[in-house]
Amino acid sequence: MRHPNQATLALHAGGDLGRVRSWWMARHLARCAECREEVAGYTEMRELLPELADLPEISWNRMAAEIKANVRLGLEAGECVRPAEMPLQRASLTGWRAAVAFASVIVLVCGCLVLERPAPPPTHTAETAVESTRDGIAWQAGDDHMLGLMNGGAQKATYKLGAQGSMGARYIDPETGSVTINTVYVQ
Amino acid sequence: MSDAIESGLELQERQNRFISLHFRRIFVQIYHLVQNVADAQDLTQEAFIKALQHQEQLKDEQKAAHWLSRIATNTAIDFLRRSGRATFCELDEAPESQSESPEAILLRSEHREYLEDGLRLLSARERAALIMRDVEGLPAEEVAERLNCSKATVRSHIANGRTKFRRYMERRKR
Repeated sequence: MRHPNQATLALHAGGDLGRVRSWWMARHLARCAECREEVAGYTEMRELLPELADLPEISWNRMAAEIKANVRLGLEAGECVRPAEMPLQRASLTGWRAAVAFASVIVLVCGCLVLERPAPPPTHTAETAVESTRDGIAWQAGDDHMLGLMNGGAQKATYKLGAQGSMGARYIDPETGSVTINTVYVQ
Repeated sequence: MSDAIESGLELQERQNRFISLHFRRIFVQIYHLVQNVADAQDLTQEAFIKALQHQEQLKDEQKAAHWLSRIATNTAIDFLRRSGRATFCELDEAPESQSESPEAILLRSEHREYLEDGLRLLSARERAALIMRDVEGLPAEEVAERLNCSKATVRSHIANGRTKFRRYMERRKR
């Protein structure tokens, strides 16, 4: 007589076989006392296991509070370390990658050579220009000095130019310590 | 109160609700696998942190329970693999009722220890499959879903688990 293996007997004891195999097993067990005994052993074992489901006495409210607090801490700690956890991707410089890298280096070198060439001397045009001076900011049209904002020797002055033709300067007076903001609108 | 602070509080409130809703079930599920209260609590926290860090992956709110169960199972299995063997509870932590005599408590505790020794012989996945099927009584399909593997693989884990456990019981009888 051909006997089923232990795995099949173990599955049959828990009703985990398909219909056809279960039917075949039932037929076999009806005439095989040895396999019946094996299946009974597995059934007995299965009956003991649910004891592992017993829980000790637990204070659920206290546990809920602890879990919530610790989860919050964990999430905050996770936020702090997240950027450092970004995986480093190691790419091998072989095949097409090497070709692309080599071409990039060539383009970079050519670009540097072009940019390093001496620029032609600036030609004086009569265009309107805004430039930063030692004492402030000046607006010139051609050779004429049209407007200037002086910062009175302040070390850290902040200038801003508006797209609508405005010009502003903000600085701290070194003597009085007061903040001065000048804005001039050109029409 | 600024919008940013308000939305932060709302998020925290939502996360607390999520924990309150699921923590008992997840704790019990993990406890069945590791059989130790302290480890189960730590792993429950770990599972919730993982879940809340990736909650954008959860498109369907209805599937939250399954998704969380899967995270919890994986967290417990990783723990069992890492630790090699589980650290089971001490005698004074064992389930206890006021009506039981000290002898009965001792006997029950010894019996539990006997069962836990058997579980230690199983691999993490065999143990998880056996507990979900024979302790929690889940159908094989759900065990497969939680373990993220096929039903055939789950059957194989269950069969191996039962066979090893039974051999252990027979050895102890002799």
